[in-house]
Amino acid sequence: MTKIWKIIKYEYTKHVFQKRFLFSLLSLPLVVVLMVGVSLLMGVLTIDTSPVGYIDHSGTMKDPQPLERESSIFEPAIDFLPYQDEEQAQKDLDAENIQAYYILPEGYPQDYRVDLVFLEEPASEVQEQFEQFIKQNLDMYQNLEPQIKERLENESLITISTLDGEREMRQDQWYNIFVPMISGIMFFIVVMTSGGYLLQAVVEEKENRTMEILITSVTPKQLMTGKIIGNIGVGLTQLVVWLIFAWVGLNIAGQFFPVVQDISISTDYIAVLMLVFLPSFVMVAATMAAIGATMTEAKEAQQISSLFSLPMMIPYYLSSTIMMNPNGTLATFLSYFPITAPITLIMRMGFTVVPAWQIAINIAILVLFAILAIWFAGKAFRMGMLRYGKKLSLKDVLRKQE
Amino acid sequence: MSIIKTLNISKRFGEVQAVDNLSFEVQPGEIFGLLGPNGAGKTTSIRMILDIFKPDEGEIRILGGPMTDEKKNRIGYLPEERGLYQEIPLERCLIFLAALKGLDEDLAASKLKDYMEHFDLYQYRDKKVKELSKGMQQKAQLITTLVHDPELIIIDEPFTSLDPVNTEMVKELLQSKRDEGKAIIMSTHQMNQVEELCDRILLIDHGHRVLYGTLQEIQGKFASRDILVTPLNELPQTIEGVQEIKKLNGRFRLTLEEHTKPNLILRNLINSGVELTEFEVAVPPLNEIFIKVVKEKAGGVND
Repeated sequence: MTKIWKIIKYEYTKHVFQKRFLFSLLSLPLVVVLMVGVSLLMGVLTIDTSPVGYIDHSGTMKDPQPLERESSIFEPAIDFLPYQDEEQAQKDLDAENIQAYYILPEGYPQDYRVDLVFLEEPASEVQEQFEQFIKQNLDMYQNLEPQIKERLENESLITISTLDGEREMRQDQWYNIFVPMISGIMFFIVVMTSGGYLLQAVVEEKENRTMEILITSVTPKQLMTGKIIGNIGVGLTQLVVWLIFAWVGLNIAGQFFPVVQDISISTDYIAVLMLVFLPSFVMVAATMAAIGATMTEAKEAQQISSLFSLPMMIPYYLSSTIMMNPNGTLATFLSYFPITAPITLIMRMGFTVVPAWQIAINIAILVLFAILAIWFAGKAFRMGMLRYGKKLSLKDVLRKQE
Repeated sequence: MSIIKTLNISKRFGEVQAVDNLSFEVQPGEIFGLLGPNGAGKTTSIRMILDIFKPDEGEIRILGGPMTDEKKNRIGYLPEERGLYQEIPLERCLIFLAALKGLDEDLAASKLKDYMEHFDLYQYRDKKVKELSKGMQQKAQLITTLVHDPELIIIDEPFTSLDPVNTEMVKELLQSKRDEGKAIIMSTHQMNQVEELCDRILLIDHGHRVLYGTLQEIQGKFASRDILVTPLNELPQTIEGVQEIKKLNGRFRLTLEEHTKPNLILRNLINSGVELTEFEVAVPPLNEIFIKVVKEKAGGVND
């Protein structure tokens, strides 16, 4: 046990106190800040502040008052102009006096469906403000109990459909997409960097024969366990630091952009995230160690590992499908497949409510594969030791018993 | 009790029989030379002893039984070529490797300090291993092998990259370890070092045991019937019992007739009034024995 602990400590401190680790630690938050900054700036520069019209056929808004809010450079206040009928509104739209108009049909109180007519799709900011405008003026909303009102604060009260009927999207919290996407990327980077460290280390130890010294001091199992745990520690450190960055960043951003304050991540989500991450982490790390043990050159091993990392990203290539139908066949299938499971599950959980039994099965599969991967790594390692300077095929590893 | 006892061990890699039915023992307090041409099976034998892999057949008893985790702490191993982490500072590397041999880190640090000072490495302790010269790395490697005071020391080519001063230092260190009762297995191609250091040797070729015994026994077995003499005055034209006299620079090589004892020649020379400053029974250099045996074996195989 003490030897495993010594290996864990060595592997952990070897990376955490390195310059390249600090760089990789700081690079992601910097990229995110930069990206968010640029997109905010773009949004500010391109936002159309001309008025928006509305027609209320449902009569739910009696005596509507202008939206009570402060105008800021990032969130300029939009004027909402009432129209009696579509004809007048359309005329103003064509004359570009207004940038779009909403129609609240008679059935609005039942299904919260609104129609939106535009020449060019208005910014999400417009839709957000219109929703606030409705909330402020709806009779039925005004008469609600304060507690219910508070609960409704985060609920969407409109479903927007364009008149051509092609697209329909609930006007919901934008961070439902943002959070899973960022968590997925964070997970991917963390797993691949610490997996990469492990791979590199094993190949180098084989190349320069440190392995012979190590293996005459400890057992292969102690060595592999220590290395895997040590490198997962490195990854978790990275994750925790990023989460702290994110928390501080969101708090600071919240001071300037009220919209950021909407972000709230449930503890359930974080708990499941951890339960998904840990076994996936072990699985990837052990697989990387196995690749390292069977390869003879660092360069070659890197190439093989990238073959492994590409399928992990599949959920991103298919993100629109998963987003549109998060409980569909494709999404469910991807979350049962160990390599794509972690990122798919994180995305699905952001977009919808995934049944608890499915999450349980996903985690069970990941744990099973993590155990298999460790077993495989141990075996590949033992075989790799036998053959210096020779590559091992998958068949070799599975066949021979030493 | 033998430190190592191998009984008819064999190891095959695919088509190649790396080690074939090999038996030998290593005793405490001896330096044991493991010799053989490239690819003879030396490293394979060492790796089997160290339990890096298991023999296909046969049995290895090490420190009184099969290899255990605890026994790993009682063995020091210097592999051929490098074997240190390249990217980290020297001291850190040495402390980690010593810790894996079961040494407490503080104790390791203080022992390593002594060793590093002994080998003139202390001033380089914060340098990355890869920044050190080959000779320094070799010394560092040797420290890793010895720092936990192992009972069994296995060293593969310990003198590579060392200058004469360091070679002498390492030799003294190995001899003092032998005097402390440690068992040392040394694999090397430098036959002069073997002649100077080893008490017993094992020569293997194609995985077979070819020569096995004390250095004297083996050299005696291959001794020719030659005597080297350095006279102050002229040698007689013929000497009784001598078949041939050859002049080497300043010395003479006398080839004796069969069944003639060197003592008789010495008496004859003195009786004929020769003044001698040197009289030596020519011992065949190990190098020659090595080449002879390996060549004969290769010839035999070809036949």
